[in-house]
Amino acid sequence: MGLLSDPSISTQSKLVDGLARHVRKVCTVLYVAGVAWFFCLALPEFNHGTYLSENALSPGLVYPEIRVDANRLAIQLLEELQRERKDHLSTTPHAWIAAKMNEFGLETHTHNYTLRYPFGGGKEYHGKNIYGILRAPRIASTEGIVFTAPYRAASSVHTDISPSVPLLLAFADFARRKNYWAKDLIFLVTEQEQLGMQAWLEAYHDGDRDLDVSKAYLRPGNLPARAGSLQAALNIEVQDLEIDYVDVRIEGLNGKLPNLDMFNLVQRIMAREGIASGYKQTPRKKRRHSKSLFETNLRQMLAMLATQSSGVPNGNHGLFHRYRIDALTIAAHRRATHATLKGQPGSAAVPLLKAIEGIARSLNNLLERFHQSFFFYVIVNNDRYISIGDYMPALVALVACAFVKAYLMWSTLPSTEAGGELDTEERDADTDVEAEKFELPYGSVLIYLTATLLIGFLCNVLPLQQYFLEIPMGAAPLTTSVLSFLSLIGFILPFVVVLPPGGLELLHVAFLLIYGCSLIVIGLLNFALGFFVAVLTVPLVIALETKEDTSRSTLRHAIRLLALILNPMMIVYVIVLAMTFYQFPELPLQKILLRAATAAMDASAYGLIDSVLYGNFLYFVISTVLLPLWIICWTLALSKRRDYADYVEFEESPASSPQPQSPSQAKVKTS
Amino acid sequence: MITKLPIILAAMFGCCLAATQPAQDTRVLPEGFVDAAQRSTHTNNWAVLVDASRFWFNYRHVANVLSIYRSVKRLGIPDSQIILMIADDMACNARNPRPGQVYNNANQHINVYGDDVEVDYRGYEVTVENFVRLLTGRTQNGTARSKKLLSDAGSNVLIYLTGHGGDGFLKFQDSEEITSQELADGIQQMWEKKRYNELFFMVDTCQAASLYEKFTSPNVLAVASSLVGEDSLSHHVDPSIGVYMIDRYTYYALEFLEKVQPFSKRTIGEFLQVCPKRVCISTVGVRKDLYRRDPHKVPITDFFGAIRPTRVSTDRINVTLANEDDFITTDELVVMKPFKIVIEPQFPTEFFK
Repeated sequence: MGLLSDPSISTQSKLVDGLARHVRKVCTVLYVAGVAWFFCLALPEFNHGTYLSENALSPGLVYPEIRVDANRLAIQLLEELQRERKDHLSTTPHAWIAAKMNEFGLETHTHNYTLRYPFGGGKEYHGKNIYGILRAPRIASTEGIVFTAPYRAASSVHTDISPSVPLLLAFADFARRKNYWAKDLIFLVTEQEQLGMQAWLEAYHDGDRDLDVSKAYLRPGNLPARAGSLQAALNIEVQDLEIDYVDVRIEGLNGKLPNLDMFNLVQRIMAREGIASGYKQTPRKKRRHSKSLFETNLRQMLAMLATQSSGVPNGNHGLFHRYRIDALTIAAHRRATHATLKGQPGSAAVPLLKAIEGIARSLNNLLERFHQSFFFYVIVNNDRYISIGDYMPALVALVACAFVKAYLMWSTLPSTEAGGELDTEERDADTDVEAEKFELPYGSVLIYLTATLLIGFLCNVLPLQQYFLEIPMGAAPLTTSVLSFLSLIGFILPFVVVLPPGGLELLHVAFLLIYGCSLIVIGLLNFALGFFVAVLTVPLVIALETKEDTSRSTLRHAIRLLALILNPMMIVYVIVLAMTFYQFPELPLQKILLRAATAAMDASAYGLIDSVLYGNFLYFVISTVLLPLWIICWTLALSKRRDYADYVEFEESPASSPQPQSPSQAKVKTS
Repeated sequence: MITKLPIILAAMFGCCLAATQPAQDTRVLPEGFVDAAQRSTHTNNWAVLVDASRFWFNYRHVANVLSIYRSVKRLGIPDSQIILMIADDMACNARNPRPGQVYNNANQHINVYGDDVEVDYRGYEVTVENFVRLLTGRTQNGTARSKKLLSDAGSNVLIYLTGHGGDGFLKFQDSEEITSQELADGIQQMWEKKRYNELFFMVDTCQAASLYEKFTSPNVLAVASSLVGEDSLSHHVDPSIGVYMIDRYTYYALEFLEKVQPFSKRTIGEFLQVCPKRVCISTVGVRKDLYRRDPHKVPITDFFGAIRPTRVSTDRINVTLANEDDFITTDELVVMKPFKIVIEPQFPTEFFK
């Protein structure tokens, strides 16, 4: 072939040509390597034991001083609170909490906030948080630590965690008598789950700024008093004073995590107090089954990534991370009533109180914010972790497929040197080919890309427009209909708009680059989300070919089907379906499908609300990044070309061209 | 001689017998030059005690330095001759459950931050620059007298350093460090400027031995809590305060010093062995090659106290300027003329007559 004997073609091109022929194999190897690396991380050889790297914390060096009288106080407060709860079925007993805080000598304040619900014609909800500040006795109020307890009204659908408030107050009473606090302690009782927390945090940090109130959905108001820059926060959710075990929850908004030191600190102090505590801790009975270490580790990792990937915090602590405040939740679970060993009822909560005291004193020792240990990690076991340096290669290997493929595609594109790359048959057909230069349709590809991005952007913006919001329709149907409509446009787009010759190849390269970059960015911000998306979609990206090859039509159809299934909306539905099936296995299939559809609609609406209220970027990623990528992917899978007939004719010629772009090129020359 | 003698006479009039001990010992030694070398010639004592580290969790370093301060003060070095540098304020740290108090032991029987602690350099004043200026005497204009090391060729100087060290450096505050070379240069300058007679360099940090490696100046005896590559460890925690109280080396050094009385016969040689590896965990490093005397013949009070060597003399001593007649020129003697003293009345009493 002239191609090989041509001295003007460098050896590098030969290598590229060689690789281009095996690009699928190379990419498959990378994909398998990435996934295999991820699985290897569950092996003890690949992860590390946790350790405390912040000297200042010095956990467990102090003897706890909290005594049984604090426990008695907690019990007494709980009894009082239970009486109050009878009068406040669906509201918070603000007066009682504030009175108690005042009684214990805290600087007590109330925080009011308003939620202007954007959907269904707009309604206003009012909420109230109570907080008490214990000023550091011998230092200026420049730094603070927050102890929060969410309050759930008796009518709440969630688990009752009302003992958290008495426990918090009992600790506050103890802390007030101590003179060694170097930071202000804030004792905060929030209501309405994460909304109250979010409002309080916004009020704390931005409350004194003049924000455009008319646009904001959550009006946090302002706080009457602050306690300097918040260094750390501990959220306490206690189901009962008599506890069985403590589940330490760390996943925050958009998969952010508190510093690993904070988790280690809590683990160490809980261990000292003899409380069964851990990450995703389960009751003892469940823990007994024997599984291999690898399997347990892998389950733990996947469970953590699954929680992180949605970006929804699994406790009030998750909202602190946004303000660079390390926080976590200690969720103490109730001891089953039939437990044989019942401790003394008078001292049941003492270990937990001691643990809180220990954590507080360690946090009090902090000299600056947590900065020593890891912020990006995966917990494999209670005392083992994987750092970002160890898990990123898995994602990088997956994403590398896209870049390798993009490079090879680019180097075999019909560029300005197109003449030299034409093969013999074409040269025979048109002798002037070498002289002419081939122009790639950059303009139209750019316009196409912009159009897809516009669709994605509209998904994000359209449901919140005033004229849509005024429609008296629920959030779920509204969001879903907008999303479906825009997805449908994306679905039809490749049938309507057909790119000029060479456009598909160029679009393919652009797609691979955008895909790779966005996955890396998503993966850096939220590894779990990036990794799961990559694992799902990289096979399609590897398989995707714009080259027309009639001999492998089954593969082409398979790719089209796969592309159709991998529509973001479809994936959301499939995930919700799987969860529904897992939760209600007893329902008939038809009902499950229907219920999953409703749940998926709700999920998309919640995604939008979360993005508006809390700044969760999952909705944005799906609608503005993944949907446009899917539209391009779908276009490539369809591979609609102009002059399809000519192309087929050409394909029937005896030798097939190794370059996918050749036929279109030939077309240009003849036209 | 004329300047020295009054001081000698004034010093420790009751301690003569004990203090003559080294002199008596040397008398039995065969060689005369050894005798001369063994005899300490210092006339005054100075101590520079430095805690270079800040932060609450480094409480133990403050306890270290305050304990040594307490000991040297007890053994007689006056506050005016102790330069105490403490990089952070532990006594008044907001985290201290006992405000204004610092203990070096979990039993809390001695408040080392007592009523009479004079901190000369504190907080952010404790810098490498200030430390080197202090040693070399190049203090800036306007520096208070209490912040100067006013030692002379007859001074025995004790330098005690504690903090966080590495191989070849000691960290000051959280931002800078002094290297062993800088330290050696500073001490060499001290020698050249006749700012010390003998120098005892004591350091309790990790890899402490690296700090005295570069020394070249004579009459320096150095001891370090750990060799290069070793960590110095803390001794114990006070669980009521929640910090480590004191470092191992200083703890055992203090145990020794607490038994030393001003007229003790304990020697520096014994002091160098206070912390065997069994209790210290780190290996104590000693450097003796620059030191002319045998440490086992040097009383510990030569550095930790203010006991100057005294000689009891039953002979008459000529306290005139006989030895310095070179300075007295004959011309001046000749110029002197007989004169008559007229005393003016203090009050003009004649007016009242």
